[in-house]
Amino acid sequence: MAKPTVILVGADKGGVGKTTVARTLIDYFGAHQTPTRAFDTEWPRGTLKRFHSDLTEVVDVTSIPDQMKIFDTLGSAEAKVTIIDVRAGLLSATLQALTDIGFLESAKKGQITFAVFHILGSSIASLDEIAETARVVGDANYFLVKNFINNTTFFEWDPAVYNSYFKKIKGAEEIIIPKLNEMAFEQVEVASVPFVSFVGNKGAKGEAVNYSFVLRGYVRHWLGNVWGEYDRVKLVDMVSPKIESNVRQVAG
Amino acid sequence: MSFRSSITIVASPRPRVGKTLLARLLTDFHLHEGRLVTAFDLNAGERTLAQFLPDKTTAASVRDVNGQMALFDHLVAYEDITKIIDVGHEAYEAFFSLAQNIGFVDEARRRSIAVAILFMVAPDHTSVTAYRSLRERFTHATLAPVHNEILGPAQHRDKYPLAAGGPGVVRMAALAPGLRRYIETPPFSFADPRIADPTRIPDSAYAELERWLRRIYLEFRELDLRILLADLRSSIKFSSHSQ
Repeated sequence: MAKPTVILVGADKGGVGKTTVARTLIDYFGAHQTPTRAFDTEWPRGTLKRFHSDLTEVVDVTSIPDQMKIFDTLGSAEAKVTIIDVRAGLLSATLQALTDIGFLESAKKGQITFAVFHILGSSIASLDEIAETARVVGDANYFLVKNFINNTTFFEWDPAVYNSYFKKIKGAEEIIIPKLNEMAFEQVEVASVPFVSFVGNKGAKGEAVNYSFVLRGYVRHWLGNVWGEYDRVKLVDMVSPKIESNVRQVAG
Repeated sequence: MSFRSSITIVASPRPRVGKTLLARLLTDFHLHEGRLVTAFDLNAGERTLAQFLPDKTTAASVRDVNGQMALFDHLVAYEDITKIIDVGHEAYEAFFSLAQNIGFVDEARRRSIAVAILFMVAPDHTSVTAYRSLRERFTHATLAPVHNEILGPAQHRDKYPLAAGGPGVVRMAALAPGLRRYIETPPFSFADPRIADPTRIPDSAYAELERWLRRIYLEFRELDLRILLADLRSSIKFSSHSQ
């Protein structure tokens, strides 16, 4: 049995595209036949759940019952990949909670695969976030995601300063999410379906629909580039570790 | 092309090589053969094709998403109409980049629409490079070089390699200079029976024009068959790849 993987998608800043990245990850693992579940921490109304209602649960990550719902079920859940879309402003707090419950320690021991997708904004504050997050994350798989989907220019960043932060984190990898045509993005939003369903001309219930071929083409091309980034950082290899472990002991 | 819906793209990255005349001839050829046909004019400036065949031509653009949707969503629509696209040199790269990115040819194939690209050959490096690029980027489309004989007798065969089993070079015969004035005032359709009226075109000129059209239409019929064969071969390969 493969050990479970937890992927935290977050940023301390809002509007940087966390949920979009979480959606691409769910689609990516789906395409690789990797059973996945997701938790949307935008409690009580989750955006992620709107797109992936069948495998997403909205939780309040600050409440202990919901923390139990996520972490006590890691070993028993059918899905071996758990994606947590962390609400804006809660990344540091969530990481702290994971430290407190010993989760990060378990990850450090290799009993759980843990990854953080840190979505970066354009401001200097984002760089400070990197340092702060890196301090807590330690040896986890740490991905710094430059998300250009919302036209972020990263104009405030001095490459030298960025690199100095980037290099502080052992094994950190950079992922680039390219820009998606605005109208295509909006149409997927309106359709409220996963990107892959939109590309496949399918509605929320899998029924045949009639989205614009051009917009589907834009989304397909963009999603292919995003998945190309995930392939580059060997995401599938990360969630399918060769060493097995007894997760029930960890969770218990 | 004889029993399937088709899209023919007339293109060149160079201006003034005879693209619009070829698009006019193709559109009128299909009308002459009794087929339903519609054309799209992707020339940003004068919209010459739309001027010549206003009832059959839609002005198109790929500069913004609305224009792209209006064009490509229409192209792949399930309808039994032959479609001709006149891609102006200014729109050339934008059109083909978009077509590649959105997977236009494969989508058309999935909908049983054959796609052919007629490329106007010229000896310049830009054209040669563009042709080779199309060969690499659109392996599931039928690509045929077109030699407009009015541009000179030069042989470009080594610069424009043909696909094995695909169509050969399409020869667009030069029209006698004295006849051009009859066909160069829009609107004008070669398929319009009224052009046989001697008050419009004198009998001797009309006979010469007919001979010229026959030669070109013969090339188009040959092309039709070649495209059909190439398309069948490609469909077999495409199906086996898709499975």
